[in-house]
Amino acid sequence: MKAAQKTVPVTQEKDVDWDKYLAAYYEKPKSSLTWSGLDVKEVYTPADLPPERYKDIGDPGQYPFTRGIHRNMFRGRYWTRREVIGMGSPQDTHDRSKLLVEEGGSGLNTIADIPYEMGLDADHPWAQNEVGLTGVCITNMYDMETMTADIPLDKVSWSLITASTAAVVTMAQYAAVAKKRGYDLKKLRGTVQNDPVHFRYCGFRPASPLDLSVKLGTDVIEYCTKEMPLWYYTTVNLYDLREQGVTAPQEVAFGFLIARLYIDEMIRRGYKVDDFMQRFAFYVSCHIDIFEEVSKIRAARRIWAKLMKEHYGAQKASSQQFRFAVHTAGCSLVPQQPLNNLVRVAYQALAAVLGGVQSLHCCSYDEATCLPTETGHTQALRTQQILAYETGVTNVSDPLGGSYYVENLTSRLEEEIYKIMDEVDKVGGMYQAIEKEWLDRVFEKEALTRQKELDNRDKILVGVNMFTAEHETAAPLGVQRIMKASVKRQIEMVKKLKKERNKTLWKEKILALKAAAERRENVIPCMITATEAGATTGEMMGAVRLAFGYPYDPMEIIQAPF
Amino acid sequence: MKKAKEKNKDGKIKVLMTKVGLDGHDRGVKVIASLLKEAGMEVVYLGMYLMPKDIVDAAIDEDVDVIGISLLSAGHLVFTPLIVEEMKKGGLDDVLLILGGVIPPEDIPILKEMGVHEVFPAGSLTEPIVTYIRNHVRR
Repeated sequence: MKAAQKTVPVTQEKDVDWDKYLAAYYEKPKSSLTWSGLDVKEVYTPADLPPERYKDIGDPGQYPFTRGIHRNMFRGRYWTRREVIGMGSPQDTHDRSKLLVEEGGSGLNTIADIPYEMGLDADHPWAQNEVGLTGVCITNMYDMETMTADIPLDKVSWSLITASTAAVVTMAQYAAVAKKRGYDLKKLRGTVQNDPVHFRYCGFRPASPLDLSVKLGTDVIEYCTKEMPLWYYTTVNLYDLREQGVTAPQEVAFGFLIARLYIDEMIRRGYKVDDFMQRFAFYVSCHIDIFEEVSKIRAARRIWAKLMKEHYGAQKASSQQFRFAVHTAGCSLVPQQPLNNLVRVAYQALAAVLGGVQSLHCCSYDEATCLPTETGHTQALRTQQILAYETGVTNVSDPLGGSYYVENLTSRLEEEIYKIMDEVDKVGGMYQAIEKEWLDRVFEKEALTRQKELDNRDKILVGVNMFTAEHETAAPLGVQRIMKASVKRQIEMVKKLKKERNKTLWKEKILALKAAAERRENVIPCMITATEAGATTGEMMGAVRLAFGYPYDPMEIIQAPF
Repeated sequence: MKKAKEKNKDGKIKVLMTKVGLDGHDRGVKVIASLLKEAGMEVVYLGMYLMPKDIVDAAIDEDVDVIGISLLSAGHLVFTPLIVEEMKKGGLDDVLLILGGVIPPEDIPILKEMGVHEVFPAGSLTEPIVTYIRNHVRR
């Protein structure tokens, strides 16, 4: 720790512009718009919240769940403190996961790297440069065994962040390993992200053809409903949509309409919402405007409950409840003056908790610089722990409920969300909006607007367009690097497995998978047996892709080995 | 080549913007491409899933003055030397190479050593990028 021995220099005298100083004294905010651009009044009074409105708000734990899905909220259980982990090899990810468990994390949360999400094996010519850089690559059963080694799968809740069509493979790999280790699948707890439709907007279009996204996303939902009833089989990702630059109401509207694609497909397959909706979950962003974010979450809960009850006829409360995890807004963080990010994350985490979050990931302060360092990761967890154990926010459910402002803003966001949903309807519904690239155009327009807001100082970002300083020449706590040797070893292991596996058995199982996909059956049972026979991520995805008329390799470089 | 030069007759700076490798975080690169266009430059946005040689081949074809690459995949130290090498092979010594994305400050001098002219990490405003290009473009 060289840095610790450094002496801190005494402040140097500087010339002060006293006129500027005086202006700062009298300065008032340039804007009173919310982050998403809603105009708000200077004060809200009982006139903004007539008593008869409360029917539509309801107590926490009561339909339409505006105020939360449980009456006692955090008195019953803290939110799950789940930090996303994914780096280097499966072994590296396993080790960092155990570190955060040791430090008081209460949920495991591992994330796929780019090749894995794309459905490529670690030894794919395009993958080799990028394995493990932004997550973990699980190419085969052995990788999954390594990542989960010596972790009691019946005692943990594991969130597997594979969002693309490859989520189907992740689920099969996890189930295959759990079975091998003797666990009862029906008792396993956890989550898989499994929202392939949205992932086309995160740079994974080659891996996410729309028909295949709906088909495979729904396969996971269907399989888990039958075989892993405690498993949260999807976490529809509103967060990633928000990261494209859209507003809070757009985030919810677009996310809900994507969620409906999977629900409608389950209904088409003959299920009723009360058969399966109990384990449907969402991933939500919390950006920096605290009141808007809390109101957004409250509005989302109300809209979802009504949609499920009134449109889909859901009877069970658990099928009407909007359950969600929060990821604090990565796109709100910047490399300039990186310690400021700690503060941003803390406010965003506060919004999540005031909104009644079920599970939380706090970004580390070095999010805009590199993968989280060990210190950055632990610090993000500490942010959650300070919130949970020191601040008293856990005492009362929905503490902002009944606030004239927050209730009003909740209703206004609700209206905005409905308006945006209607707009998508006019385009012909979400499937059409995606196919016609209407949604792409919205994202591009909004992203451009966000940058212009910063360029024009319509929005302030400290350290970027105000209170700027010399650029840092180093991250304060160092940079997380990937251990090249362990990734290289992983790639070699994949090559070895491909040479040494029982070729007859492997071929039989992979062709059985392809045939099941051609018959449009749920592919997971066949993927589990194929995984057990040594089939890899790229091969299994390739088999399904071929069955649907797509090239074996999304990058169109390698040919099917079967 | 000839066709491209004609396009450049109006004296506009011509910029190639692109992603490299599998990295699909394209929000930033598309925003900067639009803003450079608004600033009066001619911009060719190549898109995603391109290898260094594809990028440099396109830069030669389009006869650009600047190559702008956005990297949010932590692959900047892997891909940059490959791109610089291809640029050398293609004789693009007078083309500016600028990077953007999630890049640790520690790596900026390393990237410059490798042959990158400037780095504009996440959180950059548009004006300094435009000014930098205008002041440093070499032809």
